[in-house]
Amino acid sequence: MRGAPVFSVIIPTHNRCSSVRRALTSLTLQNYPASQFEVIVVADGCSDNTVEMVQQFKTGFLLKVFPVNAGNAAGARNFGAARARGRMLLFLDDDIEAVPALIESHGLVHQRKPQQVVIGYLPPRFEGALDFFRIGLRCWWEEQFFQMARPEHRFTYRDLLSGNFSLETELFRRLGGFNPGFGCREDYELGYRLIKSNAHFAFSPAASGWHYDASTLSRACQRVFDEGRADVGIGRRHPELRAPLLFFKMERFTSVPQKLLFRLAFERSRLGDFLAGILYRRLGLLEKIRYRGRWRELFYLLRHYWYWRGVATETGTRSALAGFLQSSPFHPVGSEIEIDLRQGLKRAECDLDAIRPDAALLYYGETFIGSIQREIGAEPLRSNHLRPVLAKKFSKRLLAAVALERATALEPMEVLESIPEYADQGF
Amino acid sequence: MPTAVLDIDLEKIPPEVVGLHDYKKALVLIRFRSRPVGKAVVEVCGGRICGHHLRDQLLEAAGDLPWEFWLRDFLDWDETKNVRLPSATVAICTRERTTDLAKCLSSLQKLQTQPLEILVIDNAPKTQKTRDLVTQFFPTIRYICEPQTGLDWARNRALCEAQGEVVAFIDDDAIVDFAWLAGLLQNFADPLVACVTGLTMPFELETTSQEWFEIHCPFGKGFRRKIFKGDSHDPFRTGEIGAGVNMAVRREKILELGGFDPALDAGTPTESGGDHEMFSRVLTHGYSIIYEPVALCWHRHRRSPEELRRAVYGYGAGVYALLSRAILIEREWAALKVAVGWFRHDQLPKLIYAVTRRPGREPLDLLFAELRGCVAGPFAYLRSRKLVSNGRAG
Repeated sequence: MRGAPVFSVIIPTHNRCSSVRRALTSLTLQNYPASQFEVIVVADGCSDNTVEMVQQFKTGFLLKVFPVNAGNAAGARNFGAARARGRMLLFLDDDIEAVPALIESHGLVHQRKPQQVVIGYLPPRFEGALDFFRIGLRCWWEEQFFQMARPEHRFTYRDLLSGNFSLETELFRRLGGFNPGFGCREDYELGYRLIKSNAHFAFSPAASGWHYDASTLSRACQRVFDEGRADVGIGRRHPELRAPLLFFKMERFTSVPQKLLFRLAFERSRLGDFLAGILYRRLGLLEKIRYRGRWRELFYLLRHYWYWRGVATETGTRSALAGFLQSSPFHPVGSEIEIDLRQGLKRAECDLDAIRPDAALLYYGETFIGSIQREIGAEPLRSNHLRPVLAKKFSKRLLAAVALERATALEPMEVLESIPEYADQGF
Repeated sequence: MPTAVLDIDLEKIPPEVVGLHDYKKALVLIRFRSRPVGKAVVEVCGGRICGHHLRDQLLEAAGDLPWEFWLRDFLDWDETKNVRLPSATVAICTRERTTDLAKCLSSLQKLQTQPLEILVIDNAPKTQKTRDLVTQFFPTIRYICEPQTGLDWARNRALCEAQGEVVAFIDDDAIVDFAWLAGLLQNFADPLVACVTGLTMPFELETTSQEWFEIHCPFGKGFRRKIFKGDSHDPFRTGEIGAGVNMAVRREKILELGGFDPALDAGTPTESGGDHEMFSRVLTHGYSIIYEPVALCWHRHRRSPEELRRAVYGYGAGVYALLSRAILIEREWAALKVAVGWFRHDQLPKLIYAVTRRPGREPLDLLFAELRGCVAGPFAYLRSRKLVSNGRAG
């Protein structure tokens, strides 16, 4: 009998035997010692030969398979986590082919400090033709990961992607795991609770796995419909998220077709579905003549329709949605500090790291430069957030403040010489 | 009257620029702490430019940019700072231009960031001169002979021979700035970036033809870094991205897209377009291109009027050849819109200006050369494809 492993890798699956085999094969090639991790495959309602395949799979690590009827990935992951013996949980989806350094890289990040949620990199790979939809999807995924890889990224609950992430078993259990009521967006929902419990999010590009994304255009429509429903569910559980999830989206409606489709989703869903069907077919036509600009616009509209159609299924009428949004509680501002940049950037960064406030007011001496605002569901501020914000958002004000200070330190004649005429060109 | 070309840092403006007796004006590349921030045309009086006058003009022309760079230095932060630089191969595709090539290779020796290797691809040479130059004077540089005529054959050869993750191409008639390579490489952190282009300034403006070239089709695309994303930028508007004279590509990605089209560019009937066709293919596949002015090089434009007309004709032919390729091969009907748009919004107004003799007009023969190129482009492409497939069969 072996001792308890460090990592428990949990793979939920539903009738994708060959994907599971690929995932397991990639795990046999890990750099990480096989005695230090176990793999738990949760076969959720599988009617293919997934269970038999896993039972016969020869590996160096401990491999268990549980046939269950959890109904969704959240339930399956919870089931697997409940049977995990490892100190750490690593959730992997079945359509992922891990690189040999995946588990090791998760482990290395966790060694730095406790209470971390480590999100791994999942570069997408597609089998078959690369159509507009997949090209767009690849851009979206890579953009998400590239942003997360930047040191100045401020993590939010939306960054928790359940396909490849790890955390301490104790933390997962303390928070009660995934909410099995969510068939989709269960990762956002857990991510929000993790952020609220002050878990520290980190991204590891080295903890990478190829993601064999089998999404298609029609599945994407179904998916966005489910997301609409799930967002209402999240709003019910966490009322403060109603505004960022739903209300801010509505504020961005500008075009007539957007407004029209929104109304149809709530009031004339049969007509709306019919129109959405036409839109869907037009996408095929536009792809044939390779009009990608128009295609993108229509695809956006189609997603927009199905999202609000999903919302409408949950809330009923538009006035019910309005009521739902209005009952969102006023959320008090979290901790906020004042930073005087004249004391030096290093000092300001130390303050941010020591206090980790939710918001900051930035001054240079007496001059107000700007504020970094509180974001619901985002991590508290860190030192890395400061300089990029100053360079990108508040550059003109900061420049003016610094220039003013240097100018007043000079004699009047020197000022005239040192400030050329462009000083009045806006800063 | 020729124009002098100067390179001046705002922090080191000389009290006076002298010795410009042959010039009436000067084109100044303005730098701030060695980064290019703008350009200005300054008048030369009696062979001199007074420093005070120069300072005012340069500051005005540079606008906000020096201040932004100053702030980034103050903050010790930049998007492209502290990124891992990929390994790089520098490739120069050349044909019987040893005087220019020698200058280009010497400038590469002074790069601040040295590449993994430098390749000289000698494209269908008639003489031994290039081989001799490289082996005798630049023994560390690898000489490769590519027998198939055509710039894109040479580029593809470079992609196959290169060992670096990134292949940086520079023309044989250009010389590079010391920060050129690092400027290109620091933009490859995003895995979606398949290509980075740099700023190209004229090396000299000694003849009217060179001045017209700089006016008609300048290689420089401004002094701000720009990102062209595959999921938002129109893939056939490649004019504003840059040019093959100064570009780096991620080797693996470009090979994945099938490499450069050998039916295009110099040495084939289409005369140009291989670089821009690659830009549009990069964008249609959802990858991004970054224009980075820090990656600076100086290009010697064609000196004689015949060479200029030929080059402008070639650009017209190349653009229409690549648009034909897009429509015929990739079935990209949106390319038609670009062809029409170019004529309506650029060529036609310029023609009207030239015919009605309005100020600021361009020479009519140049415009006609371009239009002739456009008309010839589609046929040139078909002919060129035939040549390529015959060459393969043979």
